[in-house]
Amino acid sequence: MLRFILRRLGASIGILFAASLLLYVLVINSGDPLAELRESNAENRENLMQRRIEFMNLDMPWYQRYWTWLVGVGKCFALQCDLGTSRQGVEVSALLGLAASSTLRLVLLATVLAAILGIAIGVLTAVRQYSGLDYGVTFLTFMFFSLPVFWAAVLLKEYLAIGYNDWMEDPAFSVPQIAAIAVLVGFLMQVFLGGTPRRRIATFAVAAAFVAIVIPYLTWLNFFRFPQLGFGGVLVLGLGVALSGTAMSVGLRNTKVLYPALATVALGAIVYFASFGLLENPNWFVLAIGAVLAVVIPALLGKYLGGHLAVPAMGVGIATGIVMAGLTTLDHIFRAWPGFLALKPRPIATIGSQTPNFVGTFWEDFLDKGTQLLLPTILLAIISLASYSRYTRSSMLEVGQQDYIRTARSKGLSERTVIFRHAFRNAMIPIATIAAFDFAGLIGGAVITESVFGWKGMGELFRTGLMQVDPAPVMAFFLVTGTAAVLFNMLADIFYAILDPRIRV
Amino acid sequence: MRFQRISKAVAVGAALALALSACAPGGQNATPSESSPAASSGKFSVEPANTGLADLGDITTKDDSVSYSVGAEDFISYNGLTPESYSTYNSAITDRLFASFYYFGTDGKVYPNEDLGKYEVVSEDPMTIKYTINPEAKWSDGTDITVADAVLAWGVQNTNLADGKKPLFNSVSQDLGQTIPKGPEGDAAGKEFTVTYANPDPDYAIQTMIYSPAHVVAKQAGMSTEEMVDAIRSGDSAALKKAASFWNTGWNTSPGKLPAADLIPVSGPYKLGSWEAGQSVTLVANENYYGTPAATKELVIRFAAPDTMVQALQNSDIDVIEPQATVDTLAQLTALGDSVQIHQGDTLTWEHLDFNFAKGALFSDNLELRKAFAMCVPRQQIVDNLIKPLNPEAEVMNAREVFPFQDSYDDVVAAAYAGQYDNVDIEGAKKILETEGVDKPKVRIGYSAPNPRRAEEVAMIKSSCDQAGFEVVDAGNADFFAPGGTMERGDYEVALFAWAGSGQITSGENIYGTDKPQNYGQYSNTEVDAAWERLTTTLDTNVHAEETKKIEKLLWDDLFGIPVFAHPGLGASAADVLNVRKTATQNGLVWNAEQWVRAE
Repeated sequence: MLRFILRRLGASIGILFAASLLLYVLVINSGDPLAELRESNAENRENLMQRRIEFMNLDMPWYQRYWTWLVGVGKCFALQCDLGTSRQGVEVSALLGLAASSTLRLVLLATVLAAILGIAIGVLTAVRQYSGLDYGVTFLTFMFFSLPVFWAAVLLKEYLAIGYNDWMEDPAFSVPQIAAIAVLVGFLMQVFLGGTPRRRIATFAVAAAFVAIVIPYLTWLNFFRFPQLGFGGVLVLGLGVALSGTAMSVGLRNTKVLYPALATVALGAIVYFASFGLLENPNWFVLAIGAVLAVVIPALLGKYLGGHLAVPAMGVGIATGIVMAGLTTLDHIFRAWPGFLALKPRPIATIGSQTPNFVGTFWEDFLDKGTQLLLPTILLAIISLASYSRYTRSSMLEVGQQDYIRTARSKGLSERTVIFRHAFRNAMIPIATIAAFDFAGLIGGAVITESVFGWKGMGELFRTGLMQVDPAPVMAFFLVTGTAAVLFNMLADIFYAILDPRIRV
Repeated sequence: MRFQRISKAVAVGAALALALSACAPGGQNATPSESSPAASSGKFSVEPANTGLADLGDITTKDDSVSYSVGAEDFISYNGLTPESYSTYNSAITDRLFASFYYFGTDGKVYPNEDLGKYEVVSEDPMTIKYTINPEAKWSDGTDITVADAVLAWGVQNTNLADGKKPLFNSVSQDLGQTIPKGPEGDAAGKEFTVTYANPDPDYAIQTMIYSPAHVVAKQAGMSTEEMVDAIRSGDSAALKKAASFWNTGWNTSPGKLPAADLIPVSGPYKLGSWEAGQSVTLVANENYYGTPAATKELVIRFAAPDTMVQALQNSDIDVIEPQATVDTLAQLTALGDSVQIHQGDTLTWEHLDFNFAKGALFSDNLELRKAFAMCVPRQQIVDNLIKPLNPEAEVMNAREVFPFQDSYDDVVAAAYAGQYDNVDIEGAKKILETEGVDKPKVRIGYSAPNPRRAEEVAMIKSSCDQAGFEVVDAGNADFFAPGGTMERGDYEVALFAWAGSGQITSGENIYGTDKPQNYGQYSNTEVDAAWERLTTTLDTNVHAEETKKIEKLLWDDLFGIPVFAHPGLGASAADVLNVRKTATQNGLVWNAEQWVRAE
């Protein structure tokens, strides 16, 4: 394995080197770096051209320019990278740092969301192959996949930003709107839950009625401007998770699991009040500690109270702990919302990664960055849904026809165990490769998404550099994306070996 | 089965939670929507009297924020006069920071900025200008603006200060060492100085005489301001190395980090407040400004791509925008109705068809053929179809040195052009082609492609001129202007491109003078050269006017080329922001940003 990795690494460095040379030559020949000056009639035009020629070393032959760049990059080994300067005289390493962090913020959440949702959809459509749900979801994911990003972004801005902001000024629903939403939700619920026609009708009726009651109620509460969850909400939902978790794993009668889960709920209730002041204006460190405690404490409770059922007790406890912690956090976000609206009356902006000069509490700041991230994340996620869901679906179907699945079924294992324990795990192996590639690709930025939403990420760095025939930013982009591609490729191989014992050497 | 039970439990739980938590509606009772905004009386708080800045009178800075975007390009440097940082985008910010002795009005006319000081011609031979800096004028850190600042501004544009062959200061303008050999003369700590030009320069008014703060540069170079002034005046390059190195790069910081506050004092109405890399720069009103203060406290310059601007304006993310001037953008803006003001009009950039006069070219020695071509070019049709949708007031341009929106235009056109090419005359052109005995001459119209508008122009010319017997070929390509490209090789008969007006009186000489750098078609006419010579060597505005008429007439009679139209400009602003005013110059809407204020 080690030899294999080393060999791969060696080949990768060779490829990177050759590709950098090729790219450099292509970039500096991709256009005329003096183009806009040639069409200028400024009096100092000749001087400007001369300055730029000197600044960009345009008078050097290509191999000398490349060598200059390569020497600068070589200094990285001595930990003092010199990636050159852009045409505007800005250090490329500074530009690269900003671009990379902005791209990561933009694509990380979207990729994770797309992967989780896509895999879930893939499993669901595979289990219910050739059903209405399967066809409907397939149609939708393919439609999203083929959306022109630019156009979809404009639509999102029109409805989810401008439309939502207008609506937020006085949130209300008309009766036909409520009816339409109720029918839609009812329809979707029966599609997802499935079952016999009678059950479907019942699901539809319950869901539609629920929506038809909840929406006017929420409007009456002015929930959209003053959302509230409160202690009651946190407690009841936490209890719900604890009880349903226990019921799902071992049954409610089993106190070995039930008690630690209930203890977690009780602890969570105490923490809700104890941490109230702290969470009103926390920082990331506090939140991280809270998240760790929300996992560790229920786990310990489960381990020591669970006895011979320690494993399911820990699982239920951790789930309850996470949900309680999440709801407590959400409660604080809800509380910050009215203040946030006062600072930013139109909460979703169409451009930018944050509101200029926004000063607020931690949560207000969080909401500001979150609302700015919302539209690009939705866009990026729905576009990459298709590949994940389709790959998962076909992989699941293929695994489903294997002999060992039939064996598992004939042993009398429950369908859930068959699907999740036996089929799903094996189906995930090819998905790991795709996810690795996908992530490597996403680091390259989403050129159009970035530009449409006014984020200065990697894509923007590349595009601007190329437009200005300026090799330094383009090569910096290449260094990061090229290395990422090679690295993730290798990681995928290693993952493969871990997930699939058959190919372990 | 179990699943069913659980979903029921969850549903009941959720309903319970809602019921428990929701004791009462949040907040106050239904928030009343704001009283309808009082209809603002117009777009201005004070109607401008001429093409210059309106006099807002005694105003106080309003504690508010107005945002503007001209494009996605990030801020580069506080020093906007290095070739690397010099761009429309950077200038949109730096022009707010530094006061200048002049500014351009909306029609390109030069106005003095008396906030900073005054200038007057005290002698014509040798040409000497006396500058008097406003006694109140101070940098925002309290230091007086003095002659030392002018000496520095002259020094950075002086290539006699050099390290070997390389000029010490990396500046966009480098000719003051030749044009003003002795530099600003006067007490360095005083407020009055004179400059003496080696040759008369009619464009003296738009010389950058004060820019960077001398006291900051001197301090960073480890010398006193007097020492630096002496070194610049005596041409002591060695002593200035540190100062120059600071001026060249000392203000360049990585994106998002402004230089230390004591390094960036300003002389203009705004100072740098904060910078979020790639997102925005916030300018804050300079509380020590000695002239009319900024009308609004915060001016946020956002970096948004042009195609995102209209929606950003609609969503109130940006108040004033300069999107691409296309029919689609205009339609989007119009659809927003009364909530926006649309600013349409001509710019100082103008489109023209230039003949190739190189030896052997079709039109080079044949005035009659040039006339025939001019007769068949459908200029009115081009303007009607391509320009009027964007600027309903657009008209065919009949001059080169003056624009239709300028006062002197009618005068110049009346003297230079008799309307002979106003209407397409296919028959006339045909006749000339017959008399000249050329059969189906090939006319390659070159331009820098891709450019949809120019492609359409060429198509219109083709459909008209082909009837007259020409064979027009669309020779647009990407490397038209590139070295070794179509233009340099001379593989064209007519070039279609645009010049951007610079506001200078003398810049045309470079285009029409024999062997001048921008005379791409190698045109040569001794009479034109002589007229330019007379124009550029005097300060007499009457002579300028007369010579401009003569030059225009000569260029029409000789058919140097055919002017077509002034490029249309497009901007938009939120309806409640007052004093946003369109300008034809390249400064863009932001030119009078210090006057913008939101209506109450």
